Amino acid sequence: MALYSCGRSTLLAAHIPVYDFLAPSLINITRSTRSVRHLSTSAASNAQDASSNTPGSDAQSHPKRPSKPLTQAQRDFLTSALRVNQAGELAATLIYAAQTPPIVKAHPHLRPLMKHMYDQEAGHFDTFNSLLAKHRIRPTAMYPLWTVAASALGWGTALLGREAAMACTEAVETEIGDHYNGQLRYLLDMIEGMESRGEVIGEDLRELVGTIRRIRDEELEHLDHAVENDAKKAVPHELLTGVIRAGCKGAIWISEKV
Amino acid sequence: MASKSTTGLFLRGFISTPKPRCSARPYHSYTHPPPPGPFTPVETAILSASLPHIPTHGFTHTTLSLGAKDASYIDASTNLFPRGAFSIVHYHLVTQRAALSKHKHILETSSQPGAKPPGIGAKVKALVWERLMANKGVIHRWQEALALMAQPSNIPTSISELSSLSDEIWFLAGDTSVDSSWYTKRASLATIYASTELFMTTDKSPDYSKTREFMDRRFEDSRVLGTVVGSVAEWVGFTAHAGLNVMRSKGVRV
Ligand SMILES: [Fe+2]
Ligand SMILES: [Fe+2]
Repeated sequence: MALYSCGRSTLLAAHIPVYDFLAPSLINITRSTRSVRHLSTSAASNAQDASSNTPGSDAQSHPKRPSKPLTQAQRDFLTSALRVNQAGELAATLIYAAQTPPIVKAHPHLRPLMKHMYDQEAGHFDTFNSLLAKHRIRPTAMYPLWTVAASALGWGTALLGREAAMACTEAVETEIGDHYNGQLRYLLDMIEGMESRGEVIGEDLRELVGTIRRIRDEELEHLDHAVENDAKKAVPHELLTGVIRAGCKGAIWISEKV
Repeated sequence: MASKSTTGLFLRGFISTPKPRCSARPYHSYTHPPPPGPFTPVETAILSASLPHIPTHGFTHTTLSLGAKDASYIDASTNLFPRGAFSIVHYHLVTQRAALSKHKHILETSSQPGAKPPGIGAKVKALVWERLMANKGVIHRWQEALALMAQPSNIPTSISELSSLSDEIWFLAGDTSVDSSWYTKRASLATIYASTELFMTTDKSPDYSKTREFMDRRFEDSRVLGTVVGSVAEWVGFTAHAGLNVMRSKGVRV
């Protein structure tokens, strides 16, 4: 056991720098935002403070509503980003839902962890459901297909055992973490560009950055849990995670389009 | 003024027909102003001045010319509309869709205590009826509009307007489902609307009571409202079927 936790912490340590790459760009862009990595829930309000505290155009224009419509490219990005996120969280809830019964039966001590991860995914799914409805974005046309595929993936990996199930989580959360980081980078670039042109940024955009950042942190927490629970011991680990990650990439690509 | 029109003409060359501008409205922002609509200010001026001429002159080039004249533009400014009379149809569709949000009595849930608030289904039905009634003044000319909508080059815009209308009604009625029922709901509502609208062009009954009955029956038949079509096969089948019906009602031979 002690041996495991040793290996665990080095593994985790090895992971951290990968996700920290966003930190510098965050400091640059929302200037007065102090703590960078675990802003999670307070990010939106911090961003608001940032705009009212920063001297210059931002402070003056804060009470104003944005005067410029979002460009077609910006709306296209937001549309497909929210659509693909909803599809991903749908898949995540279904994977955990399908994995839980066989895993918990064989390893009762994992019940709280599985429930915790499922509950977070269900929360993510709700978040994107309401964002889609609010912003009038159609869900992916592949909805029925993803439903079937995700349930099959969860069920299949759970049957292969705890390590395979955790390897599935590891693979999925790695892709999802990268995916959310990519979106954050794009959104922050977009906001920076708008600010540099003196445009007012809509509150919904700032909130979205906060939401995605919080959810990304939770996905990475799931990744950590998976690695703690011997995801790397799944045989054949590389093949399994490679196939699942390729599947995730394909599903993301398709959901962004249809 | 002349230079303004030439610019418009010049731009139209680039943004010409096949792909309708801004018909799909992705990412509805609540803080940023909406993107520009499908019509320029000049086009809007001419088209809105054309509307009063529809009952007499129909959805025709004559109506467009009269509208241009009324809006004090030279006759040649109708060249701004490469799709000719279809632009009047398009304008009517867009403005009447936008007008739906003004029906506050339908949209607001009644504040009377004890009164059961109208469900989403009831609101959808009421909005469909309001939209149909917005055709009352031009219904004797509506078959001309349907013929224009069914022309191959106009079909993409027609279909996308129909789906925007369907989406608008579900949105205004307060439906927030974003699963695969999103598609079945919109497809079935589009079918109901298109077929009832077609029925209305031949209805001579007082207050369009026959149209009302027809619409009620369509809603009854669909049984999709308030239920979720669960199975994948049903979903695919229904969507394809609804799509075909919509195209048929627009005069496409399929
Ligand atoms: Fe998630
Ligand atoms: Fe996750």
